[in-house]
Amino acid sequence: MTFGAVLRLLRVDAGLSLRSMATSIGVSNAYLSRVENGHDAPPTADRLAAIAKTLNLPPLLLIELAERTSPFVAQYLAEVPEAAGLFIDVARRRLTARQIRDVRSLIDTVVPRSSGEPPSLGRLLTAESALPLMSCRDQADALDVAATRAAAGVGAHDVAQAMRRRESETPSYVGAGVWIPHAVVPGATLAAAVVTLATPLPAPTPDGRPLQVVVAIAGPSADRRLLELLATTARLARPDVVAALVAASTSDALIAAIRCQEHA
Amino acid sequence: MAELLHSPLTLVIAQAVIIILASRLLGVVGRLIGQPLVIAEVVAGIVLGPSLLGWLSPDVVDTFFPKSSMPLLGILSQVGLIFLMFLVGLELDPTLLRGRGRQSLIISHSSIVVPFGLGAALAVYLYPRVSNPAVSYTAFWLFMGIAMSITAFPVLARILTERRLVRSRVGALAIACAAVDDVTAWCLLAFVVSAARSTGLPGAVLTTVLALAYITVMLLLVRPFLRRMVPKAESGLTQNLVAVTFVLLLTSAFATEAIGIHALFGAFMLGVILPREGGLARALAEKLEDFVVVFLLPLFFAFSGLRTEIGLLNTSEAWVMCLIVIFVACLGKFGGSFVAARLTGLTWRESGAIGILMNTRGLMELVVLNIGLDLGVISPLLFTMMVLMALVTTFMTSPILHLVYPPEALARELAETTEPQVAPAVRPAFTVLVCVAYEHTVRGLMTLLDALVGDQKEDSSAYVLRLQPPPERVSAYVPQHVPHDGERAEQALAPLLERSAAAGLRARPITFVSANPARDICSVADVKETDIILLGWRQPILGGAALSGTVFNVMRQSRRRVGVLVDRGLVTVSRVLVPYLGNPHDHAAMELANRLHEHTTARVTILHVVSPGRSRSEPRLNVSGEVEQVFHEPASADGRVDIKVVESTEPTEAALQEMRSGYDLVIIGAGKEWGLAERPFAVQPEYLVDHSPVSLLVVRGAAAGP
Repeated sequence: MTFGAVLRLLRVDAGLSLRSMATSIGVSNAYLSRVENGHDAPPTADRLAAIAKTLNLPPLLLIELAERTSPFVAQYLAEVPEAAGLFIDVARRRLTARQIRDVRSLIDTVVPRSSGEPPSLGRLLTAESALPLMSCRDQADALDVAATRAAAGVGAHDVAQAMRRRESETPSYVGAGVWIPHAVVPGATLAAAVVTLATPLPAPTPDGRPLQVVVAIAGPSADRRLLELLATTARLARPDVVAALVAASTSDALIAAIRCQEHA
Repeated sequence: MAELLHSPLTLVIAQAVIIILASRLLGVVGRLIGQPLVIAEVVAGIVLGPSLLGWLSPDVVDTFFPKSSMPLLGILSQVGLIFLMFLVGLELDPTLLRGRGRQSLIISHSSIVVPFGLGAALAVYLYPRVSNPAVSYTAFWLFMGIAMSITAFPVLARILTERRLVRSRVGALAIACAAVDDVTAWCLLAFVVSAARSTGLPGAVLTTVLALAYITVMLLLVRPFLRRMVPKAESGLTQNLVAVTFVLLLTSAFATEAIGIHALFGAFMLGVILPREGGLARALAEKLEDFVVVFLLPLFFAFSGLRTEIGLLNTSEAWVMCLIVIFVACLGKFGGSFVAARLTGLTWRESGAIGILMNTRGLMELVVLNIGLDLGVISPLLFTMMVLMALVTTFMTSPILHLVYPPEALARELAETTEPQVAPAVRPAFTVLVCVAYEHTVRGLMTLLDALVGDQKEDSSAYVLRLQPPPERVSAYVPQHVPHDGERAEQALAPLLERSAAAGLRARPITFVSANPARDICSVADVKETDIILLGWRQPILGGAALSGTVFNVMRQSRRRVGVLVDRGLVTVSRVLVPYLGNPHDHAAMELANRLHEHTTARVTILHVVSPGRSRSEPRLNVSGEVEQVFHEPASADGRVDIKVVESTEPTEAALQEMRSGYDLVIIGAGKEWGLAERPFAVQPEYLVDHSPVSLLVVRGAAAGP
């Protein structure tokens, strides 16, 4: 995933101009623009927290997206030294990804999350809206088909048109071959659809990787839920996740793969 | 020390060590002042040569770089160049040109023609001053022209990457221009070399013929061979493959040298024709690059530097000449590309950047100059001047670019650059969604599609939708291995898609798994704003109704016009019959017939069936009025539309009667009157469909709601 591309996507959807976001977090326009274009490293954890505040998103989400976890975790360890033992235990046992997932679900049951359930793409999807291995020759066709599956409560035509309009403002390729076309359509219920492509398509992605996964998201308004869903979806834009998604050949397998990756 | 260096081997090793160290050290300095490595490498050569070190202490130069060692160093640097040119050829990516072909062709060619002309003009001034009569005048001015019009593709690429300009409009355009420039300049150089070497006209003609034969062999024999090597390279580049490529490379270089157009051209050519797909090119480039760039290339630069004698510029007149050379070089290259860029619609700033970038001579210029010196076309004095020119033009690129394109301006521009838009702004004139369920229906549907699109191929959109049933789950515990046949399905469509592409129509295939085909067909049609959905019909295993099952559902749900083709061997659409009773679907059928009338040469016959009793007592349907309205002209105005009126109590029988008289296609409304209303379950086949001798297109109008 290209952090800059995701940041720009969230900023545009939150209705903020480059200038106003730069002013509110106290950086120059040029710096923010360089970050968004990937010419500069993702901001520090403090700046990310400021950005999350202007976007009205949980700061941890952005910190995770920007892979700036280490200062955050280090800070926590400094405050609560006992926690260090836990990490050492994990490291000593060389837990696999699967075992870590189990441990985390254990933590979830012992200490439930305080702030309600975060939106999850995996839970929004139905057998209808997960479409594995579509083949087409133009990304616009993939967007249109995904839009037909993500239209809930409104006509597919309106959803597709709104997505195309949103794309013409700022494209929402987030790297690693993932594209998240999305739109606000009054009257729609928040819905998503995932289309994986049998043959990758060339597209103007930020990292130059061809398009492999299209996630279409439509919601009634550009509220926090939509932004959070976009941000959590962008977390899936990693080469290993994309490889796992493209390997799924049925819609059930595709949904299972997405849920599994969301918990990892 | 001196004894140790008596053996040629120890001498060469010592030279290599000194050269590599010197160029790397200067490279660090160069980086500090924002210069590409090339500058440092060339300067290192000049410093080690007679210009500085030789001037300060001739003994050291005599010890480490004695005249007797020059031939060996020369050969090594030539080998390095052969590999370098191969890499340069590899880096030339034809896809760079996509989308900006015209603009880059104009800019790059004017950036060759103008400096070439100025160089040739300069030759008139220089020839009596720095050349000797032994050199043919033609070869001299041709060479000066070429030497002025070189752009360094590799240096340009490096500068652009370092300054993150590659993705900007200017950067992409400059790279494309440099690529075109490179190819043209090398072809010209091959010609000049052959002209300089051959003694007379017969020799030149022979060289040209041989060069053309060489290019033909490379394109027609070597390239297909390389293509076949690609799949082998996919699993990893074996040393055997590398060996085969090297042998090809050296043979190609040998061939061009033997022909008389210089070994470099052969290496470059092989790099250009090596297929990019499959990772062969990339793997080779990765393997070669370090060795060539770090070890061999500095040797070449040092060799050029050792031959550069700034001491030869010992008069003020020589320095003036040198300044004139530099000025003319910049004027031609910068001016030529700047003006062309402005004329093709770039802004002042962008055109300035293009001009400066194209003015970069870099190492390509040195390659050309060394060839010139070897051939004896240019004298050591002119060689020195031109090397200085190459240095100055390369040196000034980075700082001036910084002035013209400050990083802030660049960041702003990149932020504002909107990527290519997804949705086409212009709505196509005619949009068709063809749904293909069975392979044998494809042929007829594509013929019909061809006819319906007619002469509006350029501004029509056609989508070929193929929906596949979801895989059946055998057991929840068995890991599902679903044979993925999306690609296979597309392959089945491939020949037909190619045929439509050859006919100039853009038909885009879309294939996916659908549990509810009718709904997906309707929503895709909705999203694509199609004018008509075309479906194929196949004799079902049970019963024989045409308008049932998925077809029924599509007809019921769609908000768009639907046409169902009952194919009886449709190959051409030139005579069309529209049976007409006056229901709304009949009207839709007539409109479709009008499309064929307007956009193809088809002849349309409207068959109006009236019941014998009713025709006199009730007001007759105004068929001719309606035809006039739909076809925008009275019937038979051009002899391609005519109306037949038949009196019959059995409209279906009357229509069937007419159908038997030589039509290709019958377009008919899906009305109850024809026994063609859609039914959810039907065992009884439609009478008309069952008995029709010709292909039928059953049309349902768009007005029906969901």
